[in-house]
Amino acid sequence: MPTDALLARPRPNARDGPTRWFGYRRRHTYQPAERTVGWLFSGPAVVLLTLFIVVPFLLALGLSFTNQRLISPLPVRLVGMENYRRIFADPVFQRSLVNNAVFTVVVVPVQTAFALFLAVLVNQKIRFISFFRTAYFAPVVMIMAVAATIWKLLYDPDIGIIDGVLRAVSGGQLSPGWLRSSALALSAVIFMSIWQGAGFQMVVLLAGLQDIDQELYEAAEIDGASRWQKFRYITVPGLRNQLVFVATVTTILSFRLFDQVYVMTRGGPLDATQTMMTRLVDVGFNQQAIARGSAIAVVFFLIVCLVTLVQRLLLREREAD
Amino acid sequence: MRSRTTVCGVFAAACLTLVACGGGSGTSQAAGTVSTCNGKIDGKQTLSAWFHTGQGDERTAFEQAVNAFNARQSEVVVKPTFIPEGNYNEQVKAAAASGSLPDILDFDGPSLYNYAWNGNLQPLDTCLSSQLRADLLPTIIKQGTYNTKLYGVGTAESGLGLYVRKSAFTKAGVRIPTSAADAWTAAEFTDALAKLRAAGFAKPLDLQINQDQNEWYAYGFAPIIESAGADLINRANFEASEGTINSPKAVAALTVMQSWFKNDYVDANTDDAAFTEGRAAISWVGHWKYADYSKKWSDDLAIVPLPNFGTGVRTGEGSWQWGITKHTADADAAWAFISSLFEQTYQKQVAANGAVPASKSLLNTIPQFAPGGPERLYVDQLDSGVALPRPATPAYPTISLAFNKVIATVRSGGNVQTALNEAAKSIDQDIKDNDGYPPKS
Amino acid sequence: MATLQAHNPAPDALRQRDAASGNADPAADDGWSTPHSGRGFFWRSLRRYALLALLAVFFAFPLLFMVIGAFKPDDRVLADGASWKAFVPFGASLDNFADAFSRAEFGRLFLNSVLITTCIVLGGLVVNSLAGYALARMRFRGRKFLLGMVVTLAIIPFQAIAIPLLFMMARIEWLDTYRVQIIPFLANPFFIYLFYSFFLGIPRELEEAARVDGAGPVTIFTRVIVPIARPVYATVAILSFLFSWGELLWPVLVTRGSTVRPLSQGIAVFQTQPPIQWGDIMAFATMTTLPILILFLVFQRAFVQGVSRTGLKG
Repeated sequence: MPTDALLARPRPNARDGPTRWFGYRRRHTYQPAERTVGWLFSGPAVVLLTLFIVVPFLLALGLSFTNQRLISPLPVRLVGMENYRRIFADPVFQRSLVNNAVFTVVVVPVQTAFALFLAVLVNQKIRFISFFRTAYFAPVVMIMAVAATIWKLLYDPDIGIIDGVLRAVSGGQLSPGWLRSSALALSAVIFMSIWQGAGFQMVVLLAGLQDIDQELYEAAEIDGASRWQKFRYITVPGLRNQLVFVATVTTILSFRLFDQVYVMTRGGPLDATQTMMTRLVDVGFNQQAIARGSAIAVVFFLIVCLVTLVQRLLLREREAD
Repeated sequence: MRSRTTVCGVFAAACLTLVACGGGSGTSQAAGTVSTCNGKIDGKQTLSAWFHTGQGDERTAFEQAVNAFNARQSEVVVKPTFIPEGNYNEQVKAAAASGSLPDILDFDGPSLYNYAWNGNLQPLDTCLSSQLRADLLPTIIKQGTYNTKLYGVGTAESGLGLYVRKSAFTKAGVRIPTSAADAWTAAEFTDALAKLRAAGFAKPLDLQINQDQNEWYAYGFAPIIESAGADLINRANFEASEGTINSPKAVAALTVMQSWFKNDYVDANTDDAAFTEGRAAISWVGHWKYADYSKKWSDDLAIVPLPNFGTGVRTGEGSWQWGITKHTADADAAWAFISSLFEQTYQKQVAANGAVPASKSLLNTIPQFAPGGPERLYVDQLDSGVALPRPATPAYPTISLAFNKVIATVRSGGNVQTALNEAAKSIDQDIKDNDGYPPKS
Repeated sequence: MATLQAHNPAPDALRQRDAASGNADPAADDGWSTPHSGRGFFWRSLRRYALLALLAVFFAFPLLFMVIGAFKPDDRVLADGASWKAFVPFGASLDNFADAFSRAEFGRLFLNSVLITTCIVLGGLVVNSLAGYALARMRFRGRKFLLGMVVTLAIIPFQAIAIPLLFMMARIEWLDTYRVQIIPFLANPFFIYLFYSFFLGIPRELEEAARVDGAGPVTIFTRVIVPIARPVYATVAILSFLFSWGELLWPVLVTRGSTVRPLSQGIAVFQTQPPIQWGDIMAFATMTTLPILILFLVFQRAFVQGVSRTGLKG
């Protein structure tokens, strides 16, 4: 089962690890009731997951080999790999793959680094810090559709504040037009997404920071470590688990990029912001080619599985160092 | 081992459901030769009706019509559901795909052919009285007909043209056309834009370009290529767009349009007020702006034909229509309600919003549509054949999407030829995917 | 409960409380802190607050724009948009809020959203935590397979299964109901996984002790595990709230009219009736956002603590 590699292996951490591992290993006796209870406890979730995710996804898988339309009086027939052949020949889908890749490659590291910076910043014990924490987290609680509607206005070259400020400071020279420019639209989507998501990551990392043993810093200080050294050799390793979590989740979410694009640009201008998900909804729903949309869903699934797997392996390798 | 069995079981179940679903959506054509209406209502019943919520007044008028209908007879109760226009088509699509359409459906005209082909609508020929049929504008009947049967009737027609401010044109020294016969040529129009800019209008043209997520681009700008002698699809057999939508004439016409964007003549209209705020001197839009614009500019306002791109002016037509879905058990009851909408009260209220009333008998009684009235141009365009219906093919939703993308490309400065080629490809592929949409008339 | 203390150390909680209440604490906290004394202290803290404030502006200005716009007449929202005026409530009134109630039926949609979200959050907590606990603690056949399934399913985006799910829901005639917006979203692989990783970290001794006392699995779960796991419940509750509050695509497919529709569909009313009523949109958006923001303010401490104790172990 390849997904096995995706599973988290809880790592003993300096403080509570040993107890946990011992606890885990020591008990190996099967309790006869445990089997039944195990299924009883997980039963509701298993049934729901099966009915509402597994079955529809298998349906999508099945549909992807047919010519099923959303609404059509024509009989359905099997078409083999035709849908897959066509989505890979579709220049818009190719573009969406590139866009997804660019988005992920930029957002995952930049947002994570930014969130780490924020977490360190709001971990200070100074007055009003919880106000700043809340302010930084505020975008997270905005519905993405609402946030995107607001940003569409902010980015507008005519009535938006961003170009308004740029024009004011450049004497009217600078007005890039963001979402209307095929060169800049993706960057604008990326920027807005980081704005919206960084706060959540910040909280995760902040929680991690507060778990780092203060004695380590004190010891380092005695040894005359610089700020950077303390950050590099205590903070970052201490946050390893959180950083991995944040990077993994952000990667998966990055591939799912949909809401903000659909509200702000619908994939335009000139397909500059098409993503796999906008393409899926366009093809599968708007063009009613549900079979081809399903093929996109399957390809998406395989790609994200692969990426997550590779990410896991890489991270584990580094861990082994 | 157990897990394998589970997987197999789940997959088998999924396949069964798949087959069931496939069967479900692939139902046969509704009605067929059976007549929809038999002239009598089969007892008390409640019918659902969906209405797209447009402007506030439209909704109020419709609510009043429903209440009046429910009050004056005791057999049929109509329960309306108001759905925002923004995702109305998505909702109808989802409902059609899932077999949950209401009894009475309001839909944008050109969707009719697709719905009718899908078997979602019942033909209305046996419902419509001969007087009503004779009183309706020919274009209403034509738009509602697919495969020789009538599937929908609208209470209003639409009108498309250019709203202009006369004072601006006097100032810029540009003549204002009075009829389709002396419409501006495309070159003249482009030249007028330059002159208007010189007269103080930095971005003189409003194309309602902000309305980019609905039918507007196809309705409003298909006349450009049609006027140039091209079309969205070859209307001889509705089998191919290749060679028609991407013909050199279409490319040339849209290149002219693109030049307006490249020269920055077009107001982005983000605030939906380019014309009412006085920034733009020309607004390329349909009748639905008449109330707003005439209130703002009154005597300074005129409605003139779209520019001529080579083979004479073409303009859009067609509007929202009413149909009876296959889910309705008693079409007579549904028709009783729909026909009540053709009474003068409701039509007049709709016309107050600027729409051309569907009944010929009403036309001349409303001053703005009477000869010499400010909206008379719309009536003339319908009469003279300047107004062209959107292609009567089940492929229309695909055509509309494809053309929408073409206009978006034109706006963003992309390659016109490539965009049109892609549109042709996706339309023709859609037709092929649907086996040419059989049967054909 | 001595073991519990060891795993949920009091100093952490104290530190967290200090931080949340903004008490100045002279102790060094992390790599960046510097002693709060010396000649440059004033300038250092000025610099520090300047940076904090700058970032606060960056994160908050779109929200400010929204909230202030909510009080403005429709045409001023855009007319003022490109300058400092965007952030001054010219011509302030409550008209937009009234419009949101009367024209987009904000009240109805809000109650729908509250109902749907509450059901998903509460039901989801039960279903997902039970499953997470079983996966973390019980040895039963198929456990590894289930774990694999949970992790794999977390990858599938909703858009990928929306249409097949729509077909299925239509078949069982669930369209245009509350349940069609609730039941499919109860079980969530991502949340099961969060519970699973938290439960892994709880020392087994607690359960063993209860077992010796004769407690069955249900009692152990409700009496021993749930009380310890409060932080992870808080975290999942908030995340689940955010996810379902903002659901965009599904309601378009399965709901009509305003009877069972959630908030995310309300804005469409103003966006599709030209001229677009931006003031109304801002009011609607504000009233959609503020309840969650307030909820977060109230639960901020529990949330941060929750995330910290969730044992997000990558």
